[in-house]
Amino acid sequence: MPVMTSAVTTDRDAVIRVADLHKTYGQTRAVDGVSFEVRRGEVFGLLGPNGAGKTTTVEILEGLRTPDSGEAFVLGLDVHRHADALKARIGVALQTAALYPKLTVVEVLELFRSFYGRGRSAAELIDMLDLGEKRTTRTQDLSGGQRQRLAVALALVNDPELIFLDEPTTGMDPAARRSLWDIVESLRRDGRSILLTTHYMEEAEILCDRIAIMDHGRVLETGTVTELVTRRFRERSVRFDRIDALDDTRLAAFAGVSSVKHEDGEVVLFTADVPATIGALLAAVDALGREPENLMIRRATLEDVFLDLTGRALRD
Amino acid sequence: MQALLQLTAANIRSFVRDRAALFWTIAFPLIFIIMFGAIFSGGGDPTRTYGWVDLDGSARSGELRAAFASVEDVELVDAAQDAALEQMRAGDLRAVLVVPAGYGAAIEALATSPGPPTSIEVYTDPTQTNATADTYRIVAGVLDAVSLAISGRGPAIVPAPRALQTQDLGFVSYLVPSILGMALMQLGVFSAIPLVADREKLILKRLNATPLRRWQLVGSNVIMRLLIAILQTIIIVGVGAVLFDVQIAGNLVLVGGFVLLGSLGFIALGYVIASFARTEDAANGMTSVVQFPLMFLSGTFFPIDQMPAALQGVARAMPLTYLADALRQTMVGGAAFSPLWVCAAVLAGFLGLCFLISARFFRWQ
Repeated sequence: MPVMTSAVTTDRDAVIRVADLHKTYGQTRAVDGVSFEVRRGEVFGLLGPNGAGKTTTVEILEGLRTPDSGEAFVLGLDVHRHADALKARIGVALQTAALYPKLTVVEVLELFRSFYGRGRSAAELIDMLDLGEKRTTRTQDLSGGQRQRLAVALALVNDPELIFLDEPTTGMDPAARRSLWDIVESLRRDGRSILLTTHYMEEAEILCDRIAIMDHGRVLETGTVTELVTRRFRERSVRFDRIDALDDTRLAAFAGVSSVKHEDGEVVLFTADVPATIGALLAAVDALGREPENLMIRRATLEDVFLDLTGRALRD
Repeated sequence: MQALLQLTAANIRSFVRDRAALFWTIAFPLIFIIMFGAIFSGGGDPTRTYGWVDLDGSARSGELRAAFASVEDVELVDAAQDAALEQMRAGDLRAVLVVPAGYGAAIEALATSPGPPTSIEVYTDPTQTNATADTYRIVAGVLDAVSLAISGRGPAIVPAPRALQTQDLGFVSYLVPSILGMALMQLGVFSAIPLVADREKLILKRLNATPLRRWQLVGSNVIMRLLIAILQTIIIVGVGAVLFDVQIAGNLVLVGGFVLLGSLGFIALGYVIASFARTEDAANGMTSVVQFPLMFLSGTFFPIDQMPAALQGVARAMPLTYLADALRQTMVGGAAFSPLWVCAAVLAGFLGLCFLISARFFRWQ
């Protein structure tokens, strides 16, 4: 079910412009005609399951891999031809934090700082990523979340305009994940552009201004979360705890309702006209002298979009 | 430049914090020296065995011989001068004493009227300072006693010092350059392991995402290893000199040159191993496979000319043979297995070959 990607424009404000990128490993088409654009100052997400080609795409943009064909411009530079100039201006956190095991946090930061002509001090980054207690700890003794945070700190060491974060919160506990989200938010407020990959729906919804959904080496669809959802799901669902006196025939007769479902003791009404349906529901319940419990209006989620696009759930 | 220095510092920190690496590069060669040194030191030297060359043949020279022979532990071997010197050169004699023709007549003259003292020639190997000092102590004691008996006054006979470079080294003197060569070889070959580990841990890939140049990465590794090579040289030579009295009589510039050339060659061999080992475990295995034949077939522990003929051929193919040979020649004046220029050419060729192979096959990720 191929879907047209949004047309590639030559937007002058694009920090990344990728057109028809291909990369094949043996029989595997890791990247199979990927095109998208990231605008200056936005957080752009590549969302897809493991093996969708997100990491390969990102590593081509970081100058770590050579594409078989296609165009890739980052900060206006051809990635393949100007990899060296580019590397000074971007920040990179690989999918797996790669750290010298026997060096301490502050030593690793100072080491990476020395690779660049400009940047942030180790103390500043330690403060920013909340690594103060671990500053003299060897990286081999850090927890998974701390390692990820240090990897993000290293991505910021040259104060880059554009930051690549490959699965930045994988392996983090919920608290650590939230604090990393806060850091991404503050970088965005600061005017940085960020390309992140994730297979967490929630992360993409919360962090990303725009998203490209990837599967099998292709971009299936690109847009804001609202665009992606409303483009294919115009109806919303109205949910509440089941009330026995209201049977399905009465529910189906409410204004705007197109269908009725039951999920785990919840009634789910699908409607194209939420206010009318809610009005009818409240009137009917009020007549029974009761109140609807756990009333909720929900639009479709990225999960539903992915399911609709691929026929599969995104979760591993 | 800043990046190169920081990366070198990072390499040194990682190295120093790795106990296994420290053991193999510093402790292991020291254990070898101390162990072999304790077993063999003092053993190889002929103790107070002197060649006796009597060109005078008088009664007076006979008396002198008797005086020497009466000293405890001194053993005299009568020989013609050429034969005696040849034996000494081969290490069978510690010194050679030559009584010149006319000695008897000179003594007779001194016994009746005062005059300038006469002399006998004393050949020693000045590079073996302890043995030389011991010889002169014995000689002085005997000559003083004999002089007193003859004239009752000051010295009638004095030693005329002669130097003779011997080629036979004490076993520890033989061993120290060998162990140094072995240690430099291990230092270089073991560079494969952290390199493969860094690649496996994606550190090389992460570095590749920075503006760091590859020559800076390789350069920092090489600088770190060369600094350790210099440290190893100082420690090994120092321990040999202090504990086992090994005399360093060579040209320090040449010694340093061969230390650097040999280290570079074996570091390049480490990169060759890292080119073909995919995992750290594989790199560990491959370094063992490479280092043990080098260690045992390069005349490290036994002189090559004492090996069976077939193994001598193998030894000639080992680059470590030429490094150890060059170090023996330049440090302690050991007998040449190959001329120095051949050693230098072989080591330079070995470095070039390893460099080309790793430039062709080394993978960063």
